[in-house]
Amino acid sequence: MLSRHAEHLFWIGRYVERAEDTARMLDVTYHTLLESPPSEEGPAWRELLEVLHLHEVFDDEPTAAAVSRYLVLDPANPGSVVSAVDRARTNAQAVRDRISTEMWEAINAFFLELQEMDLGTALDRRPYEVFRTIKNRCQAINGVSAQTMPRDDGYRFSVLGLMLERAEMTCRLLAVRYARLTRGSQPMWFHAWVAVLKSVSAFEAYLKEHEAALEPTRVLEFLLLSTTFPRSVLYCLRVAETQLGGLTPGTRSTAQRLLGRVRARCEFADVDEILDSGLDQFLEELQQDIYDVAEAVDAHFFRSGTDLDLRSIEST
Amino acid sequence: MPDFDEATTAAAAPRDHYRDLLARLDQVGGDELADRARLLDSIFRSLGITFAVYDDERGAERTWPMDLVPRIIPADEWRHLEAGLVQRVTALNRFLDDLYVGDQAALHDGVVPRWLVESADGYSREAYGIPAPAGARCVVAGIDIVRDGEGTYRVLEDNLRVPSGISYVLENRVAMTRVLPVAFARHRVRPVNHYGSALLRALRAAAPPASGEPTVVVLTPGTANSAYFEHAFLARQMGVELVEGRDLTVEDHVVYMRTTRGLERVDVVYRRVGDEFLDPAVFRSDSLLGVPGIVSAARAGNVTLANALGNGAADDKGIYPFVPDLIEYYLGAEPILPNVTTYLPWEADQLETVLDRLDQLVVKPVAEAGGYGIVIGHEASDEELGRVAEALRADPRGYIAQEVVRLSTHPTLVDGELRPRHIDLRPFVLSSPAGVEVIPGGLTRVALPEGSLIVNSSRGGGSKDTWVLAGDGA
Repeated sequence: MLSRHAEHLFWIGRYVERAEDTARMLDVTYHTLLESPPSEEGPAWRELLEVLHLHEVFDDEPTAAAVSRYLVLDPANPGSVVSAVDRARTNAQAVRDRISTEMWEAINAFFLELQEMDLGTALDRRPYEVFRTIKNRCQAINGVSAQTMPRDDGYRFSVLGLMLERAEMTCRLLAVRYARLTRGSQPMWFHAWVAVLKSVSAFEAYLKEHEAALEPTRVLEFLLLSTTFPRSVLYCLRVAETQLGGLTPGTRSTAQRLLGRVRARCEFADVDEILDSGLDQFLEELQQDIYDVAEAVDAHFFRSGTDLDLRSIEST
Repeated sequence: MPDFDEATTAAAAPRDHYRDLLARLDQVGGDELADRARLLDSIFRSLGITFAVYDDERGAERTWPMDLVPRIIPADEWRHLEAGLVQRVTALNRFLDDLYVGDQAALHDGVVPRWLVESADGYSREAYGIPAPAGARCVVAGIDIVRDGEGTYRVLEDNLRVPSGISYVLENRVAMTRVLPVAFARHRVRPVNHYGSALLRALRAAAPPASGEPTVVVLTPGTANSAYFEHAFLARQMGVELVEGRDLTVEDHVVYMRTTRGLERVDVVYRRVGDEFLDPAVFRSDSLLGVPGIVSAARAGNVTLANALGNGAADDKGIYPFVPDLIEYYLGAEPILPNVTTYLPWEADQLETVLDRLDQLVVKPVAEAGGYGIVIGHEASDEELGRVAEALRADPRGYIAQEVVRLSTHPTLVDGELRPRHIDLRPFVLSSPAGVEVIPGGLTRVALPEGSLIVNSSRGGGSKDTWVLAGDGA
């Protein structure tokens, strides 16, 4: 397929995932704070911004209203839900002939719905509904895509983008939250761990596996290394690796080598060893590795014709 | 003279082929029709079937306006139209072959003045000698047809470069069968959904002789183009890649596309990029939409551009008056579809007639499309007419003047009621070495403001599904 089309599909996957993750984390933070002491509010919103790597750009007082507006409807924030959906749609439009009509309709209808909604008022009055709508629409897009897209290279690129985004998001969430929650005394300790799990829809799945015994080490293990939970870092990397392998059957690209290495690192890791040798560093390296994989995908599949491009421009 | 209405006679009785439809619409009733019109709008909206209006400040996209009431063309009228269209497009293709790769017989024999052809806006010296299969320099043509006050079908304009609108023909049909299924089922309507495969067949037939199983692509200027929806639609219908200029590269006079598995050779480019933007090495060097070297690849016979370069020499408004002569010249036959009476301001005596009757004629700039720049004499102010007269004297080659055609009217849903509105028709004609084919029907455009004769979608026009009825024999 065309390199440009592959790149568009990769980014559709990433942007839709980003919108969904943002809405879910907003939802969890918002509803956790309803049962927390008021002193928690500022730090909790700041942490959320940190997870999304937006804490340095956001320069307002971190209140529920300000942060949720910033993260949902601010078109000037490239990380907001409306921006992500707008970009997903722009990318989808550019591959309109590549994706199914159902998938295009799901993305386009979501875009139009956000345009038409009075999001500001809705966030003030019924934030739950706004967050739920966003999550539902994103899940619908992924569902329609899974049901209607042939399992060709286009589908592989879009799943690859989604999985790398998701793995990265889970890493970031752990990097920010785990350190805080294990340091010092936490009055709302149980509460906070539930929130972490819910931020990646892992609460119910965790309980099924470990019952209601919330233990930081087990939570960490579950979100990093579970082979059955579809949002754990390892699970995402496994799926990403399968998709990437399908793109270049019979050969091994740099991207594949890097992805295989980081996946194997998680595959054979032990959570206690990780904690002993330093979680912060482990997560930092993990994020860097995932970032490098994305860069290698970019170089191998999206920019492969660049040399030719430069030559033909110079010759005119 | 009253307008010719497609659906009713001068005595306000339904014409035979509309009786059933009008009765059915009456039975459904105004409120229900308005509901279905809303449904129609929401279908187009969520599908993202839109078009861009360049001078619209409010945003690039507008939902495609389709009227609920279909236009019906009975089988015998269609046979007449089809024969006329095949004849006309055959002659135009012959003319282009003659001009660019032939002996220029029509120019030598004085059928069309050479200076007129060479001063046409779309005429291209670069096109000389670029091979194309005989009779298919224009693979896709859109011929604008109007019906005058007597009900006579006439050709208003030929579009031989990058005519658009076919996607709306297909989408209108899909939408129509969703919102008025019962009325549709009661008629024997000829299908249009084979267009994608017919187009692909024609494009493959146009491939360079050596290309085996040819690779066809659609070249679009990109998502910002007003017809992008259509480009993507056609690529999807044909199952071929939709490329932008930056996806293609030319090496050693061969065109390749950049794929995730390296470079892949391209044999036929159905290009929806205008001549002047196609190749920055040949035409506008500031064009970012084009592919440097693609013209030399076409000249080397390694790729076919469809439509070919320089087709504007045949659809120029100044050449239009000569098309009936070209039909007689090449085919030895009487033109089946007449033109609209046209005056040529560059002929001194005709310029005087035009200036005398300026308030009764329509003046059109030859180089504009989409209804831009047209002045309708009886609607214009004295000041406007003064400006037009001045422009005509200064640049007579820049304009033609035509008798006003009172376009036929058609019942159209306006505020829940059926009102007569003026319409035209753009049928689509495919040419390949194997022959010329017309897709039954075409895009019926409707001028929504009362009394307006301007049907262009960029000027507030709407559209209708167009039903060509299967005859008794079909």
